[in-house]
Amino acid sequence: MRKGSDGRNRLLLITLIVTALFLITLDLRGIGLLEGARQGTQTILTPFQRAGNVVVAPFKNFLSDITHLGRSRAQIERLRADNAKLKTRLLNRANADAQLMQLKSILDLAGTAGYKVVNARVISQGSTQSFSQVITIDAGTTAGIKTNMTVISQSGLTGVVKEAYSNSATILLASDPSFRIGVRIAGSQQIGILSGRGNRSASLQLLDNQTSVKVGDILLSRGSVSNRPFVPGVPVGYVTAIDNSAGAIAQSATVHLYTDFSILGVVAVVIAAPAINPGDALIPAKPQPTPVPTVTIYITPSPTPTN
Amino acid sequence: MLTRRISISSPIILAVYVLQESVINQFHFPGGGFSLFLIFSLIWAVLSTPEIAALCGFFAGLLMDFSQSSGGPIGQWTLIMIAACYAISYFGSGDDSLASNPLGVTFLVTMVVFLVELAYVASGALLGVQTAEISQTAITLIGMSLWTLAVTPFSLPVFSRLHGLAFDKRSAI
Repeated sequence: MRKGSDGRNRLLLITLIVTALFLITLDLRGIGLLEGARQGTQTILTPFQRAGNVVVAPFKNFLSDITHLGRSRAQIERLRADNAKLKTRLLNRANADAQLMQLKSILDLAGTAGYKVVNARVISQGSTQSFSQVITIDAGTTAGIKTNMTVISQSGLTGVVKEAYSNSATILLASDPSFRIGVRIAGSQQIGILSGRGNRSASLQLLDNQTSVKVGDILLSRGSVSNRPFVPGVPVGYVTAIDNSAGAIAQSATVHLYTDFSILGVVAVVIAAPAINPGDALIPAKPQPTPVPTVTIYITPSPTPTN
Repeated sequence: MLTRRISISSPIILAVYVLQESVINQFHFPGGGFSLFLIFSLIWAVLSTPEIAALCGFFAGLLMDFSQSSGGPIGQWTLIMIAACYAISYFGSGDDSLASNPLGVTFLVTMVVFLVELAYVASGALLGVQTAEISQTAITLIGMSLWTLAVTPFSLPVFSRLHGLAFDKRSAI
């Protein structure tokens, strides 16, 4: 009896494993049916994600604040002061107003470049169980969004539309390790390839071994053919460190991305780019250094007595 | 009997999946966070027979493959979850096993979550899925394991009771 049960178990296990291997093979061969199943799941989940977003919105900011506890004391103090100010001013509308601010900044950025954008709210952050950096937004093909369109936030490049469904879309964030974008350095026009690293920093690989990069250089998207997946001129980040290892064919560098992916509330999908390349028009203004008061002391020598 | 169990288990599995995708995924937890659905599937498997556990792993893995955040091919999570759920049920059975007390289940689930995620990264590398740098992946793996260790004791009584209801068992962990 026990032997029969073991045999049945083994047969079931083998059947399930073979089915899984069959599914992997079908997916790798690009069978559309499986992709349709994934799209169908997302279409079903979208209303739940919208509802979930409304319910958990007040708690999301709290958890985001916890994430930044490791920062310097001064920064925490400043955030505390800001937080207290915001609490009193925006008691009931904190989340809505924050999204409004993000939206305004995005529209400013898009307006300067002349991008035609569709704004959308982030309704889900991708699960880390699969090690991929994705978000879901509440606008899809009905709003004109298609796959391989540039997504921007108030600070600059956020990512690219990976999948577009009727009322939602999945965005591959610029921090994802599989993310690649052609960039140019503002001013010098040197070009390179930027790739995500799984966090807010990214790797820059210059294409020309005759060129060089320096810390503080600002990177902008170079643009793609027909502006898909990337429109030109979107601020991406700035160089924080340079790798000068001997033997490297071309210089590489570490880049800090402008977009803070942990606080994304509203993003915009660029559905049409202007006929004229915006060039360096979107370079963010450098922070103004706080003037340090200086004290100048003038000493007038007393006249030496003459005999 | 099996059909009845599956028909009762399916809505519960789907409800936890929807909860994971629509609520838990909204949060940006430090250190990677946790997957309630993964924890649920493993607890469900550890409380079940290997036969039921393998089926549970198959459906759970399939749903995880259909998630928009899954970067790998469809079937990758299915394969891993079948093996993980069968193994956790097989090794967790018996009176002297780790699965006979809540603390044992917690550590067993945490360990298997770590191994499952590690298997996902390793199989992803073989299938050409690009993942983050090793240091970042290690942080996420450790972070997820610690979150699982913290969340499992709270979710275990709920999932255990649901399992008891679905399988007509009076004794639950």
